[in-house]
Amino acid sequence: MSEAVARSRVMGLSSGFRVLVVDDDPDMSEFLAHMLRAEGMDATTATDGEEGIAKVHAEAPDLVLLDVMMPGLSGFEVCARLKSDEATAMVPIVLVTALDDSASRVRGIEAGADDFLSKPVRREELVARVKTLRRLHETRRELERRRLATEVENREAIRRAFSRYISPRLAERILEDDGADGELFSRRAQRVEVVALFADLRGFTSITERTEVVEVVAMLNEYFSILTDAAYHHDATIFNMAGDSLLVGFNVPFPQEDAAKRSYLTAEEMVSRFAPVATRWEQRYGVATGVGVGICMGEAILANVGSPHYTSYTIIGNPVNTAARLMQTAPANEVLMCRSVYDKISDLVPSNRVEPRGEVTLRGKEEPIAIYAARVVVPD
Amino acid sequence: MTQSGYTVTVAKDLADLIPSFMSNRRKELETLRTALAASDFEELRRLGHRMKGAGSSYGFDLVSTIGKTIEDAAKASDAATIGSNLDTYEDYLAKVEIVYE
Repeated sequence: MSEAVARSRVMGLSSGFRVLVVDDDPDMSEFLAHMLRAEGMDATTATDGEEGIAKVHAEAPDLVLLDVMMPGLSGFEVCARLKSDEATAMVPIVLVTALDDSASRVRGIEAGADDFLSKPVRREELVARVKTLRRLHETRRELERRRLATEVENREAIRRAFSRYISPRLAERILEDDGADGELFSRRAQRVEVVALFADLRGFTSITERTEVVEVVAMLNEYFSILTDAAYHHDATIFNMAGDSLLVGFNVPFPQEDAAKRSYLTAEEMVSRFAPVATRWEQRYGVATGVGVGICMGEAILANVGSPHYTSYTIIGNPVNTAARLMQTAPANEVLMCRSVYDKISDLVPSNRVEPRGEVTLRGKEEPIAIYAARVVVPD
Repeated sequence: MTQSGYTVTVAKDLADLIPSFMSNRRKELETLRTALAASDFEELRRLGHRMKGAGSSYGFDLVSTIGKTIEDAAKASDAATIGSNLDTYEDYLAKVEIVYE
């Protein structure tokens, strides 16, 4: 769509109806323009086909009155050209033909003309035809406006729904991809490589036992705000929030080559950004709190799980279970990782802050796995 | 309008356009004469067709009638008919009275 056309679509709602008259006879074009102006419309003229086409592009009129018999490009050729160009195809064209020329009407229909006007022109006929097309044009524009409004509304609804799970940046990308084959959030379960990160709040239970309910909710909101901010900062997808624990995933729904690094940086940010809050809470309640994190990667199932009444977009499988177990054993300010994660992020942590915890057999697991603990340095 | 008295009634709001319309007709007559002298029937046909479209639109029915006759005669390369119609046209342009209503 040309800029002029786009502009007219915007301005057209408030401005008058604009008609371009194309006729090689200045007496005819002036006559027609005069009649249209008398009806309160804007009219401009062009004296041949080439000028007519140029003016349709430049001025984006709401209607074209087009003479058939012109030297150079005939009205049929001009009509066919305008109708085959995506930028101008929607502009209605009235072909002005001699009264006794039925062959011209057939050719005009073939060229895509929207209506015909007989020459000599009867004023009443001109006004009636143009007014009909104007109404049609305005109805079409109103329908188009409503369709666009609905589309915008739908996109906003999708954005709001997605933003509960994923970062605004990812939501935007999903809308751009229009669902990437519609499979991103499809009901069909997918087996995917994920990095699962579980975080929870150490020491919080003893605070809840001695604090007012309202205050507990406000505290949890503050804590989860920090954690979800950190998650979104590194484009994680949030899968679950329960009690004081949070499950986020990487490499889903979009592949992230640096998923492991993103997960570690997220963990570090969660721990360090929560530290000042922990200090404040300790002064107030006398209890030490802090975020503990478990990260593991591997194959998992990504699916919408639930019943017709309640579904949850979630990841299921060993890396998720393992991350949960690691989180349970991680003390405040510590990130526990399985080896596969550590191998990919080792350059992010100074070796004096990492401690191999050997092979640990986790509760409910048969095979022992190598575990690494990274201590996050928090500001005092 | 009557063909004998050459009186044409034109809508008042078209008054501004009439001087230019009449001046174009007089130029047109010259062009028609030149074309006829050169036996340029294609140009005569084109001009006749144009007169046919413009004339009655403005209320000058005889211009359309003469235009159609010239157009048809030009297709048949009938110089005599065109010649006599140009004389009528010249007479008409000299005598026509315009009433605005």
